[in-house]
Amino acid sequence: MIRPALVALFLAPALAGLPVRAATVYVASQQGAQVTRVEAGAVVGHATVAEAPATVAAGGGSVFLSHPDGHAITVTDAATGVVLRRLPYRGQAFGLAASADGRTLFVADWSGHRVDRLSAADGTVEASAETGRDPAHITLDRAGRLYVADRESHQISVFETERMTRLATISVGTAPFALALSPDERRLYVGNVRSNDLTVIDTQALKPLTTVPVGPMPYGVSVSPDGARVLVTNQQAGTVTVLDAGTLAIAATVGVGRYPEGIVIEDGRAYVANWFSDSVSVLDLATLKEVARLPVAEGPRSLAVAAAAKEILR
Amino acid sequence: MRLSLLVLPLALAATAALAHGPTPQKVSQSITIKASPDAVWKAAGDFAGIGKWHPAIGKAEGSGSKDGGTRTLTFKNGGKLEESLDEYKPEGRTYSYRMGEPNLTALPVSSYSATFTVSPEGDGSKVEWMGRFYRGDTGNEPPENLSDEAGKAAMNAYFSEGLKGLKAAVEGGKSK
Repeated sequence: MIRPALVALFLAPALAGLPVRAATVYVASQQGAQVTRVEAGAVVGHATVAEAPATVAAGGGSVFLSHPDGHAITVTDAATGVVLRRLPYRGQAFGLAASADGRTLFVADWSGHRVDRLSAADGTVEASAETGRDPAHITLDRAGRLYVADRESHQISVFETERMTRLATISVGTAPFALALSPDERRLYVGNVRSNDLTVIDTQALKPLTTVPVGPMPYGVSVSPDGARVLVTNQQAGTVTVLDAGTLAIAATVGVGRYPEGIVIEDGRAYVANWFSDSVSVLDLATLKEVARLPVAEGPRSLAVAAAAKEILR
Repeated sequence: MRLSLLVLPLALAATAALAHGPTPQKVSQSITIKASPDAVWKAAGDFAGIGKWHPAIGKAEGSGSKDGGTRTLTFKNGGKLEESLDEYKPEGRTYSYRMGEPNLTALPVSSYSATFTVSPEGDGSKVEWMGRFYRGDTGNEPPENLSDEAGKAAMNAYFSEGLKGLKAAVEGGKSK
């Protein structure tokens, strides 16, 4: 049930003729050491950050970047992109996830084979847990469960984040790297880089449902806000596979730049980081066509959507 | 003491075989060849034919130039690599492939994938060989010979020397 007061809160700016802030897509360029901000399909700004950021994640009013070779995590302001602070990190930070309020950060330590829960204020490690080998990307659900793609153990580790205890390990394909939850969080989709397929996990049973083929080297996964489509980047083919979430049949294969990696969906568009081409492909979800290619700094790998100001207030 | 000294290199080798690492690097080389794209593709499109034109390869054996096809390369320095085709598109004169288990003698990288493309340019052809690799030691403090820089130097040299060998083979009408 949506209360009238909440509806009024959403509608008020539009009714009053005030501009409603769009959500911002953040793109991290590893070689270029830059973060690019994109809104409504166009670049609106960029900021230079510390060397070699790999993964970007958003939470609350903050955007976080991992620096695997730099023993650090950068915190920037989501509204302006301005760098706020650097958190020291003892391990090889790769995968990142932030709590909705932006106060807690989860970090996968690639060569340490663990995941840490950090205070986003100062980087203090509050809790820690062993994962499988070479944990890559991670994702946090609204109930506080954390899913970790253990790349060289070919499994997903699931943790409850209060005490960081492992609830389950789920076998998937070979070399899982990226993962994405459906909007209702009942399905987890996992891209397996070496077996060229996608494993679908039932998050209530914590069991794999099925594994379906995609293209060569699936490195990024995203689900449309209505849950109807799953988009997967095929790094080795320079394409995005669009799957029907219900049937898991391939609905389309869309050409993008070279070595596509991260992918996010925001407001009817998919954004794809083309690592080799130094660009971001913008796909129209209605037509499943590439509608723009935005130049960014060298080596874009990861993207994150920072919610619009109204959603942060909610 | 003696036992631990023996075990250490084995442990390091095992780590290198598993590691993939979080910091990819680019490699990209190209060359122009005075021959038609079809003539260049005749030599370059044979996936296991690399042994006929790449100066670093002593022997190459393959299972066919098709999606999923493999080749086993024996480098002149003794290193061995197994590589497999992800996509083989003769109509576009291009193929994409990836290496299997790393062999640091062959190439000081823990993993690499690449795309090889022949396209028309002027009266002749342009050949592009580009890829993505991870340094030989993907930990935070790699030794100099397994660093990003060492990987870049080795991969660029491997691609560039290969393309020079291909050019000589096609333009000279003879193998290396």
